[in-house]
Amino acid sequence: MTPDALRADSVRKTYRGRSGPAIEALTGVSLRLSRAERVALLGRNGAGKTTFLRIASTLLAPTSGEVEIFGHDAIADPESVRPYLAVVPQEGKPFMHLTPREQAYTYLRARGFTRETSKSRTEHALEQMGLTEVADRLSITLSGGQRQRTMVATVISTEAPLLFLDEPTIGMDPFARRSVWDSFRELTRKGSTILLTTHYLDEAEALSQRLYIIDRGRLLAEGTADDMKRSVGGTLRVSVAPGNGVAEQLATFGPLVRDGDTVHVITSPGRIQEILQLAAHSNLTASVGPVTLEEAFLRVVGRSINDES
Amino acid sequence: MNLETPMPAVGRSRWTGLGAFIGTELRVQLHEGLAIATSIVVQAVFLVFVAVLAQGYLPFTLVGAIVFSVFTIGQRIQNEAAWIRIDHKLHELYHASPMTPGAYFLGLSVGVLLAYVGPILVLVAAAVYFIAFTAAAALVLVAVLAAEFIFTASVGYMISTWFRDMRSIWPYSTLFFNLFGVLPPVFYPLGLFPVSLQPVALLLPTSGGTALAERAAGILPLTTGEILLASISLVVSTGAAFIGAVYWARRISRER
Repeated sequence: MTPDALRADSVRKTYRGRSGPAIEALTGVSLRLSRAERVALLGRNGAGKTTFLRIASTLLAPTSGEVEIFGHDAIADPESVRPYLAVVPQEGKPFMHLTPREQAYTYLRARGFTRETSKSRTEHALEQMGLTEVADRLSITLSGGQRQRTMVATVISTEAPLLFLDEPTIGMDPFARRSVWDSFRELTRKGSTILLTTHYLDEAEALSQRLYIIDRGRLLAEGTADDMKRSVGGTLRVSVAPGNGVAEQLATFGPLVRDGDTVHVITSPGRIQEILQLAAHSNLTASVGPVTLEEAFLRVVGRSINDES
Repeated sequence: MNLETPMPAVGRSRWTGLGAFIGTELRVQLHEGLAIATSIVVQAVFLVFVAVLAQGYLPFTLVGAIVFSVFTIGQRIQNEAAWIRIDHKLHELYHASPMTPGAYFLGLSVGVLLAYVGPILVLVAAAVYFIAFTAAAALVLVAVLAAEFIFTASVGYMISTWFRDMRSIWPYSTLFFNLFGVLPPVFYPLGLFPVSLQPVALLLPTSGGTALAERAAGILPLTTGEILLASISLVVSTGAAFIGAVYWARRISRER
């Protein structure tokens, strides 16, 4: 049987600070990534996403648990799996005194690729990331988005079998984000596997074949974006703002998702008219749209927060 | 690269990517032209003071300035490694790759050395002008400087990994490099150091190495016992620091 690209079992991580209480960042995370799969790990700030990514990419030791990469034990022998990996670190920056072209090329050379391969892959990655025009400018002169694109170009040029991307499109404009998405799709077509974290739920939905939602160090949900949306309990969302004053009445139409002053009601098409009338009666703004991953995310994580409290 | 194609020639050698990373770091460092050009200003000022105040000690200060210049490369390595790790997080890019942590440490160190070697050669030229170096003395000087570099690079790299904030590093860095590089007899002759503390000075890689180079240049008399003490100490401290740094680089490549 072909081993999974990544198999993590009961991964726990406790940070023991010199002062203050220990922090349980992961409390037993288990997940699997098949080969050539694109998977997103979603969660609030501090949910444990980066901790998991750093453990899986051999950059952080877990407190306990198992991680296998293509069947190799990544905990006991991290150096044996590192040739398979490439990582876009969260908030990473390229060398300020290298150009994007130099950054990608020298990184490939450091990974052991030949001059010819390094050169051709660098040019391809720069083109994919829309960096050709600024390829010979020092990174210190580039915008934040261009620097982030340089980081992504550097990593995708490796075509590594397993890529860990921690918020890879942060700070990018919508056009750049879509270029990045295309490059990730191309990589998985070629056989690479991708695990990414993002706070852009449209990105997670557009890009990922499967999603995991993590909160407070434990996995809350797993499935496709459609699975997650279906689990919310309806196909349409009516957003009422400010909706907290009529929340009790709105709850009779379906599950609620609170988002600041706005209350989203997840419901069926047959109940829309009644909700709009209620909103109009109370002089509130209401809009209707399909259920998005954002509602699913807010509901899953919100339910978890309510359970805790 | 994907799994259907054979793995490229990566991960086969402990030093894969070393040359490329040296080139990367050298290229990065060469943009800091002013920092490189001014890297021997303190040493030059010391030389001027000594030339004015006590010209007879100038050969000692020259040899000391060369040793000190190589020693302070460790401080630059420390700052560069910390900067890459704390501010850029680029170490993650390299650690999660076929390049070994040892190659990363050595590549960074040699890259910085090559960038800063120019001004040191100016000091060497001045030393050759003022001191009649024999071939044997030159060899001893080169060996001492090599050991000095390995020691300081190793210590500098290890220090760089102990902190989470750049600003926390600076006071320890200043303390360490002044304590080892300025206070003991590096810029001045061993004979001016308190007699009871001279064996301690010979044990330190900086002042011990300087004494050996000065002895080889014929400007400092040392007993056989003192030569042995300084030589053994230099070899042991250099070896221990290098092995320690390679081990530490490997260990720290996966944080605890």
